[in-house]
Amino acid sequence: MSQAINPKGARKYVAGTRAADWAGDYLGSTLGNKVLVAVTGLSLAAFVIGHLAGNLKMFSGRESINAYAYFLKHDLGVLIWVARAGLLGAFATHVALTIRLKLKTRAARPIGYATQKSAQASVQSKFMLSTGLVILAFTIFHLAHYTFCVIHPVEVNGVLVDYSQLTHKGKHDVYSMVVYGFSTPWISAIYVATQVILFLHLTHGLTSSLHTLGLLGRRFTPVARLAAYGFAGLVLAGNLTIVFAVWGGWLTLPSDVTAL
Amino acid sequence: MKFTIKVWRQKNRTDAGRMAEYAVDGITPDMSFLEMMDQLNEQLIKAGEEPVAFDHDCREGICGSCNMMINGQAHGPERGATTCQVHMRSFRDGDRLVVEPWRAAAFPVIRDLVVDRSAFDRVIQSGGFVGVNTGGTPDGNAVPIPKVDQDRAMDAAQCIGCGACVAACPNASAMLFLSAKVGHLGALPQGQPERKARVKTMVAAHDREGFGHCTNIGECEAACPKEISTEFIMQLNRDYITSALSAVVRG
Ligand code: HEM
Ligand code: FES
Repeated sequence: MSQAINPKGARKYVAGTRAADWAGDYLGSTLGNKVLVAVTGLSLAAFVIGHLAGNLKMFSGRESINAYAYFLKHDLGVLIWVARAGLLGAFATHVALTIRLKLKTRAARPIGYATQKSAQASVQSKFMLSTGLVILAFTIFHLAHYTFCVIHPVEVNGVLVDYSQLTHKGKHDVYSMVVYGFSTPWISAIYVATQVILFLHLTHGLTSSLHTLGLLGRRFTPVARLAAYGFAGLVLAGNLTIVFAVWGGWLTLPSDVTAL
Repeated sequence: MKFTIKVWRQKNRTDAGRMAEYAVDGITPDMSFLEMMDQLNEQLIKAGEEPVAFDHDCREGICGSCNMMINGQAHGPERGATTCQVHMRSFRDGDRLVVEPWRAAAFPVIRDLVVDRSAFDRVIQSGGFVGVNTGGTPDGNAVPIPKVDQDRAMDAAQCIGCGACVAACPNASAMLFLSAKVGHLGALPQGQPERKARVKTMVAAHDREGFGHCTNIGECEAACPKEISTEFIMQLNRDYITSALSAVVRG
């Protein structure tokens, strides 16, 4: 009986390095992590502006926003789940990597200075993790409040109902739900406060991500900062307008609110 | 001029260390900060105490060894200056000066104000070089290099590796140093063959040494005695992303 002696193994392609090595080397480094933080951060920012555009339908009337919400939930089919998965993935990656980087960075300076003066770092740049964690907590609250409707029962025609039961012309009455929400001082206070926090996060975050991705040269940093303030300001002003419109009586509760 | 010097004293790598306060007198405004430290040390030696250990060599701002955190600022209050280039006229008579060593896990304190910056050497060894032909001396200017590229390379090559960027960075990141080294070689034709591999291995070496990550806040460029711009960090990021993408395409 003869047996082939084949010390190098069978004839087939053997990879020198694997795709996982690429990911580990390039994405696993502090710089790779930063690039992922920037890309997910920019995606979340794109979502935020899209979300704002949807929210502003409050001003084009009850039927308009209700129809828009209905469209998102029922007419998009599988796409809504793709979008949700992408959003959740981006959010989770962003949070996990920023926490990982922060822990590494903390280990990079175990003994601090007795005095340290900063020269040109913005205040918000030093509180990115804190403002981020507030946004995380707020996002959970926001979902519980307007998506799962478990925070704030309201009285409609003498019966205590949750938001999901509000109905208008066979559709979920998102319009009345929002007015109910922002007519409640403590709830509005949470929304206003976190919009300011988000503004701070975005002003540094957007400038920073343009740097991280190397998209603008140093001489354009003031332009990047201006753009970041503009974008973040738009988000802040847009979202707060809705809250203030409810307070000011511009958006009011319809007389025919019904709950199913 | 009179000063109160509050300075870090640490016997060796393992000693816990502490701040100590000394008074110095008879300082003239045109003394450099290091000369003031020399005077403090003479005073300590006369009193039978250990002098404060600090690194220094050129005393003209080119070697990058005179590293001190003065009142919370790397190399003290003057723009674009190393500690040896800072003069006592930058301070007010009677000031209390807090003097500390660079603080970073990658820069362990050896003694008093002296830290071990060999982490930088290892980062350089990992990729801060170019391949050259052996044989006869090449003609000068045989490789044409556009003026802007020369200038850019020279701007980056100003880095003296002092570590002020690490010291000033709240994250103890060495990105400015790293980007100056990668950017200096990457700006020149001679640096092109290794360009994509260099940025990858040098970033990996940077991380291995335990430096933190860059949060794009610009403390480093403000602290840099050679005023190297964070433009080079952006260039580093571009090079890194290019290297990653080309590694996907080319296997
Ligand atoms: C609407 C949600 C969010 C948006 C739009 C957003 C956006 C951004 C952007 C654009 C950046 C800049 C990336 C870079 O520096 O390159 C960033 C950084 C950061 N984000 Fe967020 N973020 C959000 C939520 C969060 C949350 C929930 C956390 C909680 C941990 C967080 C923590 C951070 C931290 C710590 C940084 C700074 C990273 C660094 O400086 O290295 N963010 N964010
Ligand atoms: S002693 Fe050389 S730079 Fe100061």
